[in-house]
Amino acid sequence: MKVAVILRQVPDVVEELVIADDGRTLSEEDVMYITNEGDEHALEEALLLKARHAAPVTAFGVGGEEAKDALATAVAKGADEAVFVRSTPDARGDNASLAARLAGPLKTGGYGLVLTGVHAADQLDAGLGGLLAVQLAAPYVGGLTTVHVDVAGAKAVVQKEYAGGRLGVMEVDLPAVLGVQSAEQPPRYVSVGKVTQARRTLQASELSVPSMTVPGVRARALLRPESGAHAKMLEGDADHVAAEIVALVKERGLL
Amino acid sequence: MNPGVVVVAEHERGELADITLEMLACAREVADAAHWPLTCVILAAHAQPFQALPLAADRVLVLEGPGLEGFSPDAYLRVLVPALKGLGPGLVLLGNTGVGMDLAGPLCALLGATAVAGCTRVQVQGSTVVCTSRLYGGKLLAQSELPVGSAVALLLPGSYPRKRGMQNGVPKVEVHAAAASGPLRVRFRELIEPKLDDVDVRKVPVLVAAGRGLQSKENLGILDDLARTLGGAVCATRPVVDQGWLPRSRQVGRSGMTVKPRLYLALGISGAPEHIEGMKESDLIVAVNTDPDAPIFDVAHYGATVDLLDLVPALTDRLRAAKGGT
Repeated sequence: MKVAVILRQVPDVVEELVIADDGRTLSEEDVMYITNEGDEHALEEALLLKARHAAPVTAFGVGGEEAKDALATAVAKGADEAVFVRSTPDARGDNASLAARLAGPLKTGGYGLVLTGVHAADQLDAGLGGLLAVQLAAPYVGGLTTVHVDVAGAKAVVQKEYAGGRLGVMEVDLPAVLGVQSAEQPPRYVSVGKVTQARRTLQASELSVPSMTVPGVRARALLRPESGAHAKMLEGDADHVAAEIVALVKERGLL
Repeated sequence: MNPGVVVVAEHERGELADITLEMLACAREVADAAHWPLTCVILAAHAQPFQALPLAADRVLVLEGPGLEGFSPDAYLRVLVPALKGLGPGLVLLGNTGVGMDLAGPLCALLGATAVAGCTRVQVQGSTVVCTSRLYGGKLLAQSELPVGSAVALLLPGSYPRKRGMQNGVPKVEVHAAAASGPLRVRFRELIEPKLDDVDVRKVPVLVAAGRGLQSKENLGILDDLARTLGGAVCATRPVVDQGWLPRSRQVGRSGMTVKPRLYLALGISGAPEHIEGMKESDLIVAVNTDPDAPIFDVAHYGATVDLLDLVPALTDRLRAAKGGT
């Protein structure tokens, strides 16, 4: 059984996000890209499946040139094949067009499982997994923390997160598209040296399917959240802030 | 003709989930402003628990049938798609939850609709649905438009007051037999209850919560000291739990625990919407994060931008001194 994993490059939300002059996109020069966190977990789950079932893993890296670094990292971690899906910033977060674009290659690739992160930081729309599943005429379920595949590769038994820390156990016929919330173990670490080496020897094929325009949703404006109910800020150094918090704790009778 | 707004209900063990009432509150506002009818669609194996609820809908449509015992996206879609095609709503509301997020993509693709996820506000203006949604981990808001008639909005939990999802009196309830024909490709098997460790974070009065700003597992020690001094416990956001630094039972947020302690000390937490959902009703929230733009400061009562690794030992010392002195 072959496993495909989609690695989307998204703006790192830990960095400052600058709204561009058009008021509806991010200022490209200020964006720092990282692989979408959920997609990192999807890759980890794919590599666990590889270890358990000798399932070859193909990584699809979506984004600009930086996606090639994500592919090199994926290969250094153990992915067998790398496909570069060139995408421009104006297509950012457009999962409907990405699903349409990936459908053909994922169909012909004969993958038993397609793994994506359940959510992406730049996601405005319904999300990649569900949209992709319809294109592939495959079932979709997301929010997963565990994916186990039977020996025949005919079905997967997955655990899906529910509110209150509960887990739902589901059985899914393959081929399927699965949305990973968090892998069974933290995404593995790979040394910078190995990544550099993988980058040098990377043999990524480039997806020949061009970008598509399909009906989707675009933000007409990006705004900073209204700070109507903003916290009262405690000023001064750490020791001074500590003293103020102690006063609050005392005032509330919590000591 | 007025197309109407449809709420797709979520429920568990015969009880409607909070998000259902919040969606009804949102839909009620839309319906009143646009003079649209509001239909609440409930998919269930048994209609009985849902037949006499005072919901703020004009009509409750219970689709009752086998295969709907637990949530299977496959079973739901097979029943929901033809039902929605029949209703032809101007707007469909789903929860921005594990259930709604599973349904949204396929539903859009099968109905020719478009969805906006993470909505905190949904309005109808003429032939347009205007959505305000949280993007980039809650750091920015997006405003976007969908055409009435092919609009799906996923409502972020906690965005509308639950109370307004109810009214006096029971609306008209219709029960229709629904069957998900053919074998299901996704089959619900069972629900596993969380393994609680020594501490139930829902029951302690003070929570010291760790976010990504914790940086390493070793730093948990000083948080633990602080929590003990306050008679509380340490909890965390998803990234910290995903690293394996704390057990799943200590995770606060959408898929973890919902907590309401007397004091929630949020340390190194940016405040992603999924986390805020689980802690925003705490009595007193004090947030410490070096990023002054962190969304956590929009829900915290008090905030500071000092380094948590400097603050925590100083705070523990001062609390110990204060305790000793009383």
